[in-house]
Amino acid sequence: MTSTYSPDGSAHSGGARPGAARVPRWSVLGAATVLALGVQAVLALWVAPADANQGDAQRLMYIHVPAAWLAYLAFTVTAVASVLWLWPRTRSVKWDLVAGASAEVGVVFTALTLALGSLWGRPVWGTWWEWDARLTTTAVLLFLYLGYLALRRTGDSPDERGRRCAIAALIAFADVPVVHFSVTWWETLHQEATVFNPKLETNITGTMAWTLLWSVVAFTILYVYLVRSRTQLAEMQEGLEERELANAIAERIETGESAVTV
Amino acid sequence: MRLLREAVLVAGKDLRIEARSRVVFAQVLPFGGIVLVLFAFALDPDRGLLPRVAPGLFWIAVLLASLLAVSRAFAIEADNGARDGLRLSGIDPAAIFLGKTAAVVVELLALEVVLGAGVVILYDVRVTGGPALLLASLAATTGLAATGSVYGVLAAGLRARETLVPLLVLPFVAPVMLGGTRAFEAALGGVTSEAWPWVELLGVFALMATTIGVLVFGPLLEES
Amino acid sequence: MDDNGGYVIAGFALTGGVLAAYVAWLGVRLRRARRSGAGTEQPRG
Repeated sequence: MTSTYSPDGSAHSGGARPGAARVPRWSVLGAATVLALGVQAVLALWVAPADANQGDAQRLMYIHVPAAWLAYLAFTVTAVASVLWLWPRTRSVKWDLVAGASAEVGVVFTALTLALGSLWGRPVWGTWWEWDARLTTTAVLLFLYLGYLALRRTGDSPDERGRRCAIAALIAFADVPVVHFSVTWWETLHQEATVFNPKLETNITGTMAWTLLWSVVAFTILYVYLVRSRTQLAEMQEGLEERELANAIAERIETGESAVTV
Repeated sequence: MRLLREAVLVAGKDLRIEARSRVVFAQVLPFGGIVLVLFAFALDPDRGLLPRVAPGLFWIAVLLASLLAVSRAFAIEADNGARDGLRLSGIDPAAIFLGKTAAVVVELLALEVVLGAGVVILYDVRVTGGPALLLASLAATTGLAATGSVYGVLAAGLRARETLVPLLVLPFVAPVMLGGTRAFEAALGGVTSEAWPWVELLGVFALMATTIGVLVFGPLLEES
Repeated sequence: MDDNGGYVIAGFALTGGVLAAYVAWLGVRLRRARRSGAGTEQPRG
């Protein structure tokens, strides 16, 4: 690749560095992700034994649980990055972009968690959806952060967007425990006995426990890879916008079209 | 005390504008009414379903109307540089937030009285458990109005705010919908004791939303 | 795989598909950003 851009966003500085410097670091993380996920799939589909009660359907746990963990991790990172943006000493555009990248990855994995939960619930519970406290909270969470992502797309100056979005992220984050609490209450106070009894969890030990642990680690590596790529993309787009604006202004001045005469 | 006096001032301004323009009265209230009528079309009244689901339908109607009321409350600041005037007035942003929220609360409470009467008449609901109903309405309405004001100022000045605010508000107020509906169900079902936990939840939510508003309104008003 | 194997395969395929699509989308956008960045690297004027 003949790119003159390095992955750490140094494109902003305008320094042209050889693209060769980019390749190794990224390949390591990317290769680690692919390897970890490959091993994960083998462990989850072949090595781990089928569950005594649920049979093979329980294998879905090895992707459902890590996906849910990733979603919550991603939204926590968004909240932390938003605090770091709001804190004057650590304020940097980078934190705003990280918050946005992490929220986007979080939304993808929240949706995936819900879909996988459905696929698991169908054979085990007998329904695609159950108004269970965790499912319902996760669904509300998805919409909360879809709203956050929509807010990010409204096109402000980076500073204004940073403030609005950081505050919105923290407000949304604060709402999650309240939603979870109210939904849990709803379930315990009002819900009649439902069609199913077994909960999704099973007590797991041995190979199954190790497989789950490996899955969580693999998904976490994947998270780091995705957020880094997404942040890098956001940085490049931001840099491009700035340069395009600067070029447009320069062109205007050159051709004397500017309304403002200096 | 100065905070409260200023908040009353802002609320008075918003209510005076409403008294003169009658947008909430002439547009939002009929909107809530037709929503109630359409629910009856959707859930065939003959099957006795309406009285059972009346609490939920009532709160959905209020929720939708509250989106319009909030949108109106911030639309009046958008024209003629009104927001700059508000910013330059020297009034504490927290007081502006409290004032605007209070004005929306008053408007929504009036709307709830009318919609409530509509539910009683149209859906054949017998009213019991008055105190629980009143406190639940008050707490839920405060929560809705405070949340609306927070997101209203958050999206102020943005191009797509009319479509953005509902998306931001609705998931956030999910606990209000849940608490309001369950509290009403319990009170109307004659088991008031079951309503109180939900009233408490609504109170906690209202407190949280108001605290958030007091904290973030200043920085957000500067930006918008 | 027992009777429910279909659900398991669907779940893993869905996860793989979503991830592949997301990574591919990121890759395309990154390459495009790099390409258009290369031409306008120095602001004129």
